[in-house]
Amino acid sequence: MADIVVTEDTTQYEGIALALDKSCKLLAILGGLTLVCMAIMSLWSILGRSFFSSPLLGDYELVQMLSGMAVAMTLPYAQWIGGHVIVDFFTAKASVKTNALMDMIAALLMALFSAVITWRLVVGLVDLKSTLDASMMLNLPTWWSYVPMTVSFALLTATALFTANTNLRKLLK
Amino acid sequence: MTPIQWGTLMFGVLLLLLAVRVHIGIAMLMTGSIGYVFVAGFDPLMSYFKSAAYARFSVYDLSVVPLFLLMGQFATHGGLSKALFQAGNAFIGHWRGGMAMAGVTACAGFGAICGSSLATAATMGQVALPELKAHGYSGRFATAVLSAGGTLGILIPPSVPLVIYAILTEQNIAKLFLAAFIPGILAAIGYMVVIAIVARVSPEDAPAGDRYSWPQRLQALVETWPVMLIFAVVIGGIYGGFFTPTEAASIGTVATAFVAWRSGGLRGKGFLQCMYGTAAATGMIFLILLGADVLNVFLVLTQVNVALANWVIGLNVSPILVMFVIIFIYLVLGCIMDSLSMILLTIPIFFPIVMGLDLWGLDPESKAIWFGIIVLMVVEIGLITPPVGMNVFIINSLAKDVPMKETFKYVMPFLASDLLRITVIVFAPSLVLFVLKI
Repeated sequence: MADIVVTEDTTQYEGIALALDKSCKLLAILGGLTLVCMAIMSLWSILGRSFFSSPLLGDYELVQMLSGMAVAMTLPYAQWIGGHVIVDFFTAKASVKTNALMDMIAALLMALFSAVITWRLVVGLVDLKSTLDASMMLNLPTWWSYVPMTVSFALLTATALFTANTNLRKLLK
Repeated sequence: MTPIQWGTLMFGVLLLLLAVRVHIGIAMLMTGSIGYVFVAGFDPLMSYFKSAAYARFSVYDLSVVPLFLLMGQFATHGGLSKALFQAGNAFIGHWRGGMAMAGVTACAGFGAICGSSLATAATMGQVALPELKAHGYSGRFATAVLSAGGTLGILIPPSVPLVIYAILTEQNIAKLFLAAFIPGILAAIGYMVVIAIVARVSPEDAPAGDRYSWPQRLQALVETWPVMLIFAVVIGGIYGGFFTPTEAASIGTVATAFVAWRSGGLRGKGFLQCMYGTAAATGMIFLILLGADVLNVFLVLTQVNVALANWVIGLNVSPILVMFVIIFIYLVLGCIMDSLSMILLTIPIFFPIVMGLDLWGLDPESKAIWFGIIVLMVVEIGLITPPVGMNVFIINSLAKDVPMKETFKYVMPFLASDLLRITVIVFAPSLVLFVLKI
């Protein structure tokens, strides 16, 4: 389950592919670093409350915000390396072109849904900003987390469209 | 149409989408959305989408999942798998098939600080496979041992699928982790018995290795101290109530990162590989979680799962028969799907059924924990069954000269031990539950 062994990627990309490759990897690294920060912060909080009787204020909501951002930032990379799971049992014997057609449609569906979510995130962001929604303890504006999430879903849309295009080329070859 | 008919229809659509290669997360998202629109309307769905992604990704209890994945990545780069294998080998390597057994104990040890089976299989494969081959083990047997051993990664806590189960069914993660212990140890023992039998039946597959002296053994054991310490702090801390699972995973992440840094595993591209590996696994899991969330909202609106549960309970068939049918469905699904998708797709449907049945007179909490462990063991089998046993794929790709078919053939005795263990635990829930009463 739930894990992919990443092999060294030595493909030379250019143009749009290069831009997507770089931005997906950048977001993946930022997501990972966010998780590292979250871990260090939790450790700080534990040390603070057990040894110095000064618990970190709002650690619970910081974890929520950071994990929301970090998780969203990993989505485009997973799509870029073809890591989102499909069931290929029933189509294992189908021709390359048939599979390319189905994969193209699947990628378009992903692009459609992530585009809708991107749009709704922007609407949500504007709403939250105007209502001044903020976290309980630290009074951090909720819309802050929506910014990296919107960027991530927008990039997921672009990456899925690129995958669809790659499959279209396979189909026309 | 009644909501129940809608629910059934949408479930059919979902299976169809899955069959034509739509990503599992997106297929769930899509059927859930369509159903939602017809039951509740378009505007409610759009307003739900405004907050759905943030609401799902920022759940405090779920934040333990990416942390466990990151911890597993650091552990992989920290050389701990090698230390574990050498410690096992120093103690029992001179037995017939002993080195393969050391592979199993090392997998179990690595599983104790890593919540994922594929990561366990991959890292142990890289360490143990060359050693096993150098000592005359056949490639087909060595690959089978490590594929099966890798499943201990999720069986022995921490375990990502168990976290997901706990959240879906609102159970206590600490109790589930503790309950998974005895089954995990039984699994390791079962695999070692299988190895001993194979070593007797066909000695050419599994010869005896070198004998080590006691000082060497103790030296090798001392090398594994980071694993023991991290495990004790993480699992002990969760169970003792000293910190939340997220905090425990944070400690584990920082500790494994330190070990990886000390051993030089983060040099060069090492750190980036940890980031990429974590991102790939996290993205994959959370897209499915997001889809499952939308699908579940739809299930709640239609109550189709409750209706199904009532129908099954109303049939008045033997509860054990129902359990075996559920297990059978998991075994079939396991041949075509990954474990996490299976859990997310089926638990909302099967859990109300199981909770409504009278099984051995268990109280609801014990029943939920027992069922969770059974589900965990059954879905883990899907990792080593043909045609898409992911563990077998990964290990086999490390040994280019071994045909996949041969590995699958040698995996069969391990599969038999899995099935035997599951049957025993179905009939003896106390094997799982007694640790909770201590």
